[in-house]
Amino acid sequence: MPHLKRALSLLYWAPAAVLLTELCTVKRVSGRSMQPTLNPDSSLLWRDVGIFDRYSIHTRHRRGDIVVLKSPENPRYELIKRIIAIEGDTVYTRPPYLVREVRIPKNHVWVEGDGFHSQDSNSFGPVPLGLVDSRLLCLIWPVWRLGSPTGPVTPNLHSRVTPARSKCV
Amino acid sequence: MLTELFHLLRTIEGKPWAYRAKFVGLKILHGANFFAALHLLSYIGSISTMAGPSMLPTLANEGELVLENRWSHRVFPDSLRRGDLVILRSPLDRTRIICKRIIGFPGDVVCVDPTGEKAPSTEHVEVPKGHIWVMGDNAAYSRDSRDYGPVSMGLIQGRLYARVWPPNKFTIFRNPITYLDRDG
Repeated sequence: MPHLKRALSLLYWAPAAVLLTELCTVKRVSGRSMQPTLNPDSSLLWRDVGIFDRYSIHTRHRRGDIVVLKSPENPRYELIKRIIAIEGDTVYTRPPYLVREVRIPKNHVWVEGDGFHSQDSNSFGPVPLGLVDSRLLCLIWPVWRLGSPTGPVTPNLHSRVTPARSKCV
Repeated sequence: MLTELFHLLRTIEGKPWAYRAKFVGLKILHGANFFAALHLLSYIGSISTMAGPSMLPTLANEGELVLENRWSHRVFPDSLRRGDLVILRSPLDRTRIICKRIIGFPGDVVCVDPTGEKAPSTEHVEVPKGHIWVMGDNAAYSRDSRDYGPVSMGLIQGRLYARVWPPNKFTIFRNPITYLDRDG
């Protein structure tokens, strides 16, 4: 009976636990699109685990933030990318995209991976902010990578993005 | 309510401070848990107000309450059909929730604007992967896919199930679409 009682008490507190996941979640990064910032081990023997902030993303987002978003092409998949440009900015795109230069529309962001550019804004264009789910706060696993991820902000970011005039970089 | 609170406080009168702090803290936790449980109900469904002329004549301009189904599109993503009324996060403003009718699914070729107001009525586009084409029922007063193009399915928040207020206009929204040719 103590087991049953314990299970019931866990069930009783479940709503509070679920509500906490609306504020922040722990997720494991899979895939290589954010190399070398995340998952730098190219044979993927270990994968980074991080804490993601789902609350502050409602109020602010900046160029350079690493965010988790629902894939615009398949809502069941989540992608982890870096915000390259925000609304009003002008971006020089990379090859798969058809237009050379894009101005980011209102309430949209331009996201790209640091490593491979397989599935990012260069293939599906600017992403509405409603798809952005959370922002990477810090890594917690593996132990030696504890803390916020260090690494180069996407090379040539400043040469590719012209910020909107009303804001500063 | 207030008398109950006083009664609660009297039960811990004269007890050690550590006991009092634990008692009050636990009560607060239980209260928070209760509100969290209420909030979880909105994962299943919710009742919300509707405003705006874009869905006339299906939904009135104001003063109506509708019941939203918020779970079925998550559990069965393929259950959405052309003609369903969906609740979306606006692609133009993430804080705004809008209600539109699904016109096209990925791969469909849709006429951008049959009324010819916002685009020539001969213009057609193919809806891309993972996106839907949405329109308001009141084409003259609706900002929809004719303005902002196809909308990602990830922005769908739920489906409109029924109108619950005013009571004499209670309706369960049925899918009105009839197909001329189901092969395609």
